[in-house]
Amino acid sequence: MGEKISRRDFIFSTLATGALFAAGGGASAVAGGKTSSKVPLKAKYALIIDTTICAGCGACRDACHQRNDLPEGMSYIRFCAQDEGQKCLPVQCQHCADAPCAAVCPANATYHTPQGVVLVNTKLCVGCRYCEVACPYQARRFNEEVGVVDKCWLCLDYVLSGDKPACVQACILGARIFGRQDDPDSKVSQLIDSGRAKPLHPEFGTDPAVVHYIIE
Amino acid sequence: MHVQEVWHWLAAIYLFLGGLGAGAFLVAAVVELTGERYKQEFCPITLVGSTIAGPAVGIGAFLLVLELGAGLREPWRIPYMFTHFTSVMTWGIWILSLFVPIAFAYGFLEVMDTYPKAWIWVTGKLRFKVLKRLPVRRLKRIMAVMGSVFALATGIYTGVLLCGVGPAIPLWSAPLWPGLSIPLLPILFLVSAISTGMGLTIDMTATISQPETHRRFHSLPVIHMTAIGLEAILVGLLLYSANSLGGAGAMSVNLIASGHMRTVFWIGFVATGLVYPFAVHAYAIGAGKHSIASGIGSGVGIVFAGLMLRYLILTSGMPPVL
Repeated sequence: MGEKISRRDFIFSTLATGALFAAGGGASAVAGGKTSSKVPLKAKYALIIDTTICAGCGACRDACHQRNDLPEGMSYIRFCAQDEGQKCLPVQCQHCADAPCAAVCPANATYHTPQGVVLVNTKLCVGCRYCEVACPYQARRFNEEVGVVDKCWLCLDYVLSGDKPACVQACILGARIFGRQDDPDSKVSQLIDSGRAKPLHPEFGTDPAVVHYIIE
Repeated sequence: MHVQEVWHWLAAIYLFLGGLGAGAFLVAAVVELTGERYKQEFCPITLVGSTIAGPAVGIGAFLLVLELGAGLREPWRIPYMFTHFTSVMTWGIWILSLFVPIAFAYGFLEVMDTYPKAWIWVTGKLRFKVLKRLPVRRLKRIMAVMGSVFALATGIYTGVLLCGVGPAIPLWSAPLWPGLSIPLLPILFLVSAISTGMGLTIDMTATISQPETHRRFHSLPVIHMTAIGLEAILVGLLLYSANSLGGAGAMSVNLIASGHMRTVFWIGFVATGLVYPFAVHAYAIGAGKHSIASGIGSGVGIVFAGLMLRYLILTSGMPPVL
């Protein structure tokens, strides 16, 4: 018996390794195919935040905290300090068309609805927090009480019954404008089409589809 | 200025163990497949490398599971983690799940091969006579090839996991050179894995149990110094590349090189894991011999620095300022 590996054994080992990879890929394709996350071309809704009006009072943040019954101090909305002119920038899930949180989730717990809203199936989430670190907007929150990661879900139950998300209702200054992006006559469509309302940091490449900002 | 607060020291340990186990396995596999293993009865490099690999990566994977939130309370969700192939973490779970059994099997066979009396005892206890005729050496070679593929994958995966967050943490996704689209971290973590693997199996082990190892394998110190030198270059490139990104990337570099993490970086990593081992090996080549103290010292330094490197990169990662 020679001491170096024989050609036959080497070929066998490599093929066996390849077979294992193929089996893994095949099994996952079958399993993962059931919950595909087909991204719609356009989001049905738009949420525009006018930072020239926003005073940073935090009413939206508190309304979100209340609505979602979140632990102490937690909200899906946070305020980012700005240095050049703007007073404040409220940031939440942008509902990206190319959401990195959906791609990186090993359990396929994050998905898009037909309206382009990004949701979390908290029954699948294992709490690895990969999505939390992968979101360039840092919009996702780990809830220690239940061990899952969740985020702004656009109060889809209100929205689908014709009402507005809690944060929009809470804003007394009118800095939050909500409407149908698929209706060209709506206020949000006009603001977006005119170029006044824009996605935040489009260079991240995630294609924020719902949330837009008026910066000046 | 705010660093990411999601993954901390436990994740650093898990990434470190994955790299160490993968590197140790690769060193053992090379010694096995080149036939060097069989020039003597007892080869500490393959013995330590093969027996450490499975447990190291296995414990690392166990730590990953411990880090899960709902995954611990509802463990039936964990199989879902094997299904989503757009996620690097899914790839990692597959790679680890296949590597660990192969590594354990190879380690077991290497122990049996090294201690024939143990093999006789084990096969005596088992009812299936066919096991006594198992072609141990042939199986070992097959395990070494298969395991090496997964070991390489494991070493690269730890870096791909981090750079998979893309623009969310500029330090982790810094390219090999500004403007290139080749990420640097997977290469760095693989080189670090091999370096820590060599530190453990050669410096720490062979130096104690077989001091003549270094005399027999003249190229070992040179190979080791090349790995250390390469690691130094890659870390330098990482700092340069991340700094060139500006914003959060530059802030991370600042934190590492001159900020809060500078002691861990310059003392815990550069001095302990690069300068000292490199100098010790250079001296050994010049003096023509390797002393036990410097061999173990160098090995401990390299292994410790491997952990420090991962800890540094994790805790200095900063999301972009919005």
